[in-house]
Amino acid sequence: MISVTPKNLSEHNVKLDLNNLTPEQVALEIKNLDLYYGDKQALQDISMSIPKGQVTAFIGPSGCGKSTLLRCINRMNDLVDICKITGQINLHGENIYDRHTDVAALRRKVGMVFQRPNPFPKSIYENVVYGLRITGENNRRVLDEAVETSLRSAALWNEVKDRLHESALGLSGGQQQRLVIARAIAIQPEVLLLDEPTSALDPISTLTIEELINDLKKQFTVVIVTHNMQQAARVSDQTAFMYMGDLIEYSDTNTLFTTPTKKKTEDYITGRYG
Amino acid sequence: MNNWFKSGSPWVWLSAGGVSISLISVIGLLWLIASRGLSYFWPADIYQFEMTDEKGKNLTVIGEIYDRESIPVSQLVHLDLDIDKSAETLERLLIKTGNRELVSLDFRWILVPQINKTSLPEELVVIERRTNGNFYGYIEEIILDGQVVEQSQMAELVARVSDFQVEIEALQTSDIGAINYQIERTRLKERKHKLDNTLTPELAGQFKDKVAGLRAEYEVLEQKLMGLREKVSRDQIVMRAMDGQKVTINFEDILHVTFNNKLSFFAKLKLFFSQIAAFVTDDPREANTEGGVFPAIFGTVLMVLLMTVIVSPLGVVAAIYLHEYAGNNALTKLLRIAVINLAGVPSIVYGVFGLGFFVYMVGGSLDQLFYAETLPSPTFGTPGVMWSAITLAILTLPVVIVSTEEGLSRIPSAMRHGSLALGATKAETLWRIILPIASPAIMTGIILAIARAAGEVAPLMLVGVVKMAPNLPLDGNFPFLHLDRKFMHLGFHIYDVGFQSPNVEAARPLVYATALLLVTIIVALNMTAVSIRNRLREKYRMLEH
Repeated sequence: MISVTPKNLSEHNVKLDLNNLTPEQVALEIKNLDLYYGDKQALQDISMSIPKGQVTAFIGPSGCGKSTLLRCINRMNDLVDICKITGQINLHGENIYDRHTDVAALRRKVGMVFQRPNPFPKSIYENVVYGLRITGENNRRVLDEAVETSLRSAALWNEVKDRLHESALGLSGGQQQRLVIARAIAIQPEVLLLDEPTSALDPISTLTIEELINDLKKQFTVVIVTHNMQQAARVSDQTAFMYMGDLIEYSDTNTLFTTPTKKKTEDYITGRYG
Repeated sequence: MNNWFKSGSPWVWLSAGGVSISLISVIGLLWLIASRGLSYFWPADIYQFEMTDEKGKNLTVIGEIYDRESIPVSQLVHLDLDIDKSAETLERLLIKTGNRELVSLDFRWILVPQINKTSLPEELVVIERRTNGNFYGYIEEIILDGQVVEQSQMAELVARVSDFQVEIEALQTSDIGAINYQIERTRLKERKHKLDNTLTPELAGQFKDKVAGLRAEYEVLEQKLMGLREKVSRDQIVMRAMDGQKVTINFEDILHVTFNNKLSFFAKLKLFFSQIAAFVTDDPREANTEGGVFPAIFGTVLMVLLMTVIVSPLGVVAAIYLHEYAGNNALTKLLRIAVINLAGVPSIVYGVFGLGFFVYMVGGSLDQLFYAETLPSPTFGTPGVMWSAITLAILTLPVVIVSTEEGLSRIPSAMRHGSLALGATKAETLWRIILPIASPAIMTGIILAIARAAGEVAPLMLVGVVKMAPNLPLDGNFPFLHLDRKFMHLGFHIYDVGFQSPNVEAARPLVYATALLLVTIIVALNMTAVSIRNRLREKYRMLEH
């Protein structure tokens, strides 16, 4: 078994019983979710509750559906024409797949950061305030304040405060990824989805982002997809292991990595496949 | 040898050869039109040839050497010339002799062996005139108010008269033109009321008073004009032509008097540039064979700009629909193929379409609805600059659509996803992220459209271009931009001057000069667009992932 040090777990003395969360503790509730790409079923009957104010990680081998599941949470899968979804995802007890859901408003509540940094070809400042400008906020003072708070939360402020109006494309990869995180949190979402946020970054930038994730959960519910088990162990409170579109095991990170109950989970975390 | 083929060198040589041939053709083309076109402006030496013709008569020929060529002697045997019959060819010169009031043709061929003496007398002058072309000869005397005066006063006189001419021109085109325009508008207003049955006697009186007032103004201006005309017609110059005839030329006819043979190199250079400036800024004279091409430059640029203003939004919107909103199905594919194929339709077909649909149908209906008072003379129901711009916009639409779509498809989906994930709608994403990033591609489309439209002549002949437009489409009379007016175009000007002109020899260098100008203008328009595109590219440069 590979050695993992779930250090952040020691900070959290309250262990949640994931099967019996009180409604106040739940950020998102996924119920009997099936997803098809054309005729092919990519997710099978997923049900899970994601607790508030914690970091939940999805792990699993490539093609297991972890990113697809993540993209269901802010309906990014809507962009795929052949994608069909049944089941529910409840946010505040309301199904986000309801016909009347305002998708843009949903995405303001559920922010997302992608695998590769994707800053817009605008200035650093304009990148951060993009979401606010969309909502019609044009007050200079409000925007300035949002830029500073978000960049500070994303641990980027000190590096860029003197060049806010320069192009965001001049930043390094790690800085760009933090900028994208700042951009996502500038609109104050409730949930932040991170889709393999460090897979395109060097080890030092990865470390910075991981530390950042630890800070972020004080304000947001974080859901992270990662192919890196050590990372999941380092940053997350709960971990869900997925395999071939099935949710195999979902428990707190410490338990999942030390005493997995399913054979497949054990095989995966001991590196027998994946 | 086999290895040499394998190494790829032959293909490198082949492709390099292809590039060289293209380069040589472009440079050769530019060099040809530049040298032929620009030499027209260089003040030529004026030669005096003493010669004996085939009947033994002595005569003098004065003029510029325009061209020279060798001809086979066999062509000339019937002329019974006193020449060396053993030679196979002999040379002849084409002389521009001007003086159109004395001889009907201002060019004549002379045979070199018949020339006894060639000289460049310093006292020879060339007078550039408003009518009848150049005059070559010697100054006999200058008459000012009926008195013979010193020749040294001539430069001053020419300058004074040309000042008067400028004044006359201004009076005629802007002041009197504006009054005429207002009288016409008042008449049309009255007619409109009449047609609508709203013409009260009171209104009629008002119109009558207004026209009377305008007419009074007109009278005053006309008096002034007559006065000026009289001033310029008092002074004359008496010239002696090559055959000794004396010719009196009014100063009002004179543009420049130059002693070409006396000029230093720098004086010639100065004259060269001022001639080029005059060519670019003056109106044409003498059925377009003399003077400048300003209205044609203006018409070309205005039409291309109008076309750009029309085609850009239309093309971009169409591309956005095809790429972003239309479903990816057979119908969209069919549409796309249709758009691409539109680019291959011969341009004259667009001209026919423009004439039939825009001019007669749309324009005719517009006239019925809004310009009934001017009927039966059409306003928009006749070819004009707006219809030309719209027709060319339709013609260049496929280019803009195709390059915009290409630009849209090159944008990484990460950009769209990033924006959508921040709660932007598809439309907001398009407007704020996608279009700015695609703007260099859109500019590429516009550049190609401009390049195509500026060189197009055939459809314009049907929908708006004329040989001679009396007014520019833009002037000081409300509403300033007259989209219904016909206009002149450099491309058509080349055709007209070169192939429809009564004076072919005189027009030939003008064809080259105008062609050079057309190329210059298209390059300038393109360069502007390219520099805008490069700026946008720099701004929206994507990081290479």
